[in-house]
Amino acid sequence: MIELLNVSKRFGDGVPIVALADVDLKVEGGEFVVVLGPSGSGKTTLLNMVGALDNPTEGSIVVDGFDISKASRKELFEFRRKTVSFIFQSFNIFPGLTAAENVQFGADAAGRGDEVDPAVILDAVGLGDRLDQFPHELSGGEQQRVAIARALATGNPVMLADEPTGELDFTTGVQILELLQKQAAEGRAVLVVTHNREISRIADRVVELSSGHIISDGPPAEGKASLDELHW
Amino acid sequence: MKDWYLILRWSWRDLRKYWVKVIAIALVIGIGTGAYAGLTSTANWRRDSNEASMELLNMYDVRFELATDSSVAAGELAAAAAGIEHAAWVDDTVERLIRPTQVDASTAGETVLVPGEIVGVDIIDGGPAVNGWYTETGSGLTAADAGEPVVLLEEGFAFHNDLPKAGTITVSGGVELEYVNTAMTPEFFIVVPENTTSFAQGTYAGVFTSLETAQDLTGLEGAVNDLIVTVADDADRDVVATEIKNAITELGVGVNTIVREDDPSYRLLFEDVENDQEFFNIFALLIFVGAVMGAFNLITRLSEAQRREIGIAMAIGVSPRKIAIRPLLVGAQIALLGVVFGVAVGVLIGSLMRSVMDTLLLLPVWLTDFQWSLFFWVAVVGFIVPFLAAAYPVWRAVRVKPIEAIRTGHLAARGGGLAPLIKRFRLPGDTFAQLPFRNLLRAPRRAILTALGIAAIMAVLVGFLGAIDSFVGALDRGTTMVEGNSPDRMVVSLEGVLPVDHPGVTAIAEAESVDGTVPVLQLGARAEGDEELLLLVEVLDLDNELWQPALAAGSLDVGDNGVILAEVAADDLGVDVGDSVRVIVPVRSGENTFRFVETDLNVAGLHESPIRFNAYMDDAALTPLGAEGVANVVYANPASGFDSGDVQRELFGLDTVGSVQKATAASDDLDDLMAQFVGILQAVAFFVLLLAVLMAFNSASISFEERQREHATMFAYGVRVRKALRMAVVENLTIGIVATLIGFGGGLWMLWWVVNVTAAETMPDIGLVMELSPTTLFTVVVLGIAAVALAPLFTARRMRRMDLPGTLRVME
Ligand SMILES: Nc1ncnc2c1ncn2[C@@H]1O[C@H](COP(=O)(O)OP(=O)(O)O)[C@@H](O)[C@H]1O
Ligand SMILES: [Mg+2]
Repeated sequence: MIELLNVSKRFGDGVPIVALADVDLKVEGGEFVVVLGPSGSGKTTLLNMVGALDNPTEGSIVVDGFDISKASRKELFEFRRKTVSFIFQSFNIFPGLTAAENVQFGADAAGRGDEVDPAVILDAVGLGDRLDQFPHELSGGEQQRVAIARALATGNPVMLADEPTGELDFTTGVQILELLQKQAAEGRAVLVVTHNREISRIADRVVELSSGHIISDGPPAEGKASLDELHW
Repeated sequence: MKDWYLILRWSWRDLRKYWVKVIAIALVIGIGTGAYAGLTSTANWRRDSNEASMELLNMYDVRFELATDSSVAAGELAAAAAGIEHAAWVDDTVERLIRPTQVDASTAGETVLVPGEIVGVDIIDGGPAVNGWYTETGSGLTAADAGEPVVLLEEGFAFHNDLPKAGTITVSGGVELEYVNTAMTPEFFIVVPENTTSFAQGTYAGVFTSLETAQDLTGLEGAVNDLIVTVADDADRDVVATEIKNAITELGVGVNTIVREDDPSYRLLFEDVENDQEFFNIFALLIFVGAVMGAFNLITRLSEAQRREIGIAMAIGVSPRKIAIRPLLVGAQIALLGVVFGVAVGVLIGSLMRSVMDTLLLLPVWLTDFQWSLFFWVAVVGFIVPFLAAAYPVWRAVRVKPIEAIRTGHLAARGGGLAPLIKRFRLPGDTFAQLPFRNLLRAPRRAILTALGIAAIMAVLVGFLGAIDSFVGALDRGTTMVEGNSPDRMVVSLEGVLPVDHPGVTAIAEAESVDGTVPVLQLGARAEGDEELLLLVEVLDLDNELWQPALAAGSLDVGDNGVILAEVAADDLGVDVGDSVRVIVPVRSGENTFRFVETDLNVAGLHESPIRFNAYMDDAALTPLGAEGVANVVYANPASGFDSGDVQRELFGLDTVGSVQKATAASDDLDDLMAQFVGILQAVAFFVLLLAVLMAFNSASISFEERQREHATMFAYGVRVRKALRMAVVENLTIGIVATLIGFGGGLWMLWWVVNVTAAETMPDIGLVMELSPTTLFTVVVLGIAAVALAPLFTARRMRRMDLPGTLRVME
């Protein structure tokens, strides 16, 4: 589903900052992968390139059979509409739209506005009773759930989440992770970026980054934990 | 001290970041204050220039005009003035001989045959000491010219007829005179001949010469008939006037006293200033208010964008005063630049106004200094507004808990507003269709302020252009009626009231260049109703072949007791077709004498001309008026193959003829006047449009920044830039439509006010009707809606080049 080959990313000229160095990574549908690393290790850069928000300096990225490193601007927009969906640390849901409308937006953006019932999706993320609330009337966890519901509404096979629990308390964070895990179980490729080692314990696979290099890739060191074992 | 230095450096970075907006907003303020100063300055300029011109040419304080056809020997009037009890109060006296004449100033290209007057004074010192003659270039008359056929021609007359600075003219009696220069003099700054109230600068000729030459030309050897006097500063003018009047009366002649303020030229010169001022003040104020509202809105939003930083600063414990520094410095820069632009725009609009004033009104002295006193107060407001606007969001932010300020981020990221009200009324279409309206309703105060700022500008535009349309419309209606089915019709004024079978009158109909005449009796009358109006009644056969007044109501079948009035006259009198109106008409009691008789006339119809004093009666009424078979005016149509010049030349030879003018001459002059006036209005309209575009552009640009993260999120979801732009356009379109609707309403109200209140008070003799031409409608709609709606397209490039990861990474 996601395939990175020899991907490097450098910022700036002169003495460039190497954000990613020669990264190879393959993620299949149904996999719940956590990208782990300290701040500045290149996690966001990696995610942005998979989501076609940014392009690599070197190497190729193929997502869902589509080589985004060779695509035109127009094709990239199309790719973002049809293939990936983002979840941001700071939610970035539209303050002018209600919860249901934010979800509807995801569907509209992907061109499947008629196939989706926001109420059903919001119900699935536990917000069945907050359909008509505006973002400022929701807690952080609830807002992030709306963001996940919006990502789900696109129906896209790849879900990219950058520090989705970064602004949330522990319990809420766990609930969000549970939701994301469920999406992988339904066949999507889910890539979650975090600097929190605890979170990586529930992943199928942990990819650890350090200074732009992958230093390990495999199941969690102490084996896959269940959600109720987490604490931070 | 070091922390202040940091803050200053930080502010400097803000300014660099915002410089385009700083300049654009400063321009908004600059246009608002500058237009105000420029538009309102003309009244001061004109008042100052009037005064200075009068001063320069030593305008009389009192004029003594001997009764018609009376004269005394030269020296007697001056002696009478010198012999009064308070002779010490008299500064200067000048004796004059003033007589009417006919002037032929035709050039190779054009026939110019007009009535006028010869003014003769002692020119030993180069011209009169009182009511001097001002020659722009070259010299005037010298002592050597006394008694010679050498004159000066009045400047305005020459200017309006495109006559050269020197040439020859012919006056009554066929005498050819050389005019060596053109000159201005106070009594001719504005020319208002008897019996008309129209602009007559080009149709009445002043011929200034030596007393001796004037006496030769008029056959009044050694005579004078006019005395003008200036009095000392501490003199009691009325006492001097009475004493001189009595002294002249003792000479055995009738005398009419005119004080300076009653001089028609002087009076109109100053009255006109007041009228103009009232007219321009409304517009100036509205432009200013619109600009101030716009600037306030824009600066507030600029400052609002820093709300999160304010929250952080508060959290760190920085004092609100220090927090306010950065936004206030941006405000200061805008304020300063705004005032600089204001002076520039003021000078620019001022010079436009001046260039038009210059040709509308010929004065020897024009004082058109920048009016700092007028500019000062608007500049103060223009200076304070940016500070208030910049400080307001800071003030709001420091009142909430720091955490809220941080969390809420800038205003645009907040929900709320009126959006909850409509969340249940879903608009048709997908979420892309909902977003623009939600965005507006989310921040209703801001949306309304933006709309109102643009609406104020739109209102000015509608009012402005509508006023032009209404003036032009009135002129057109007047011209259309004057032209009727004989557009080349000439109006021949006779020398007094003559029998229509008088050989000097029948000669008009028999003239080779004339085909078809209608005798007319012109009478001054007074109508009494809700108001008292002076009317210029033309009594003629309303069934004639040549020309009839076009009617808006009623019929031409007026009988011997009916009158046709202007609509505005009927309105002012409070009468309608079929009513009767009390009119005091002159009834002929002798060959050339009339007595006034009060009578009730039937309002038979209303004509289409906007000129209030024009009224018409049928020649059937001549019998009751005791004026059967007489006329003082003849309408004459040029025969085919002849033009108006031919008719003028041929008829001018008759001594029964006073003047020969095209019927449309007065309205042609008015058209010229309007054309120049419209020129200024259009120049100002251009600035107003620029203002609207600037505000729309700024608003769109700030909106773009406020929404950057929302746009980035959309792009992350694959929404095309085109679609995002479309949403921004829809949002602005809504503002544009609302602004235009409000602006249109306000503009119509303003127009109503200008037409029915200002114009009705200041130009009661012209019946204006509110008119808006399709061009005006189009301009306003296109500008109000299209310019505002399309403004976001300016942000297309920035949207396309947006750094998505960077914008999305910003954490809140
Ligand atoms: N737009 C950019 N310009 C320059 N350097 C950047 C940019 N974005 C990221 N970097 C650098 O790349 C490295 C990786 O950044 P990032 O992927 O955001 O790290 P992480 O998400 O793991 O904290 C960092 O050293 C960061 O400073
Ligand atoms: Mg990161």
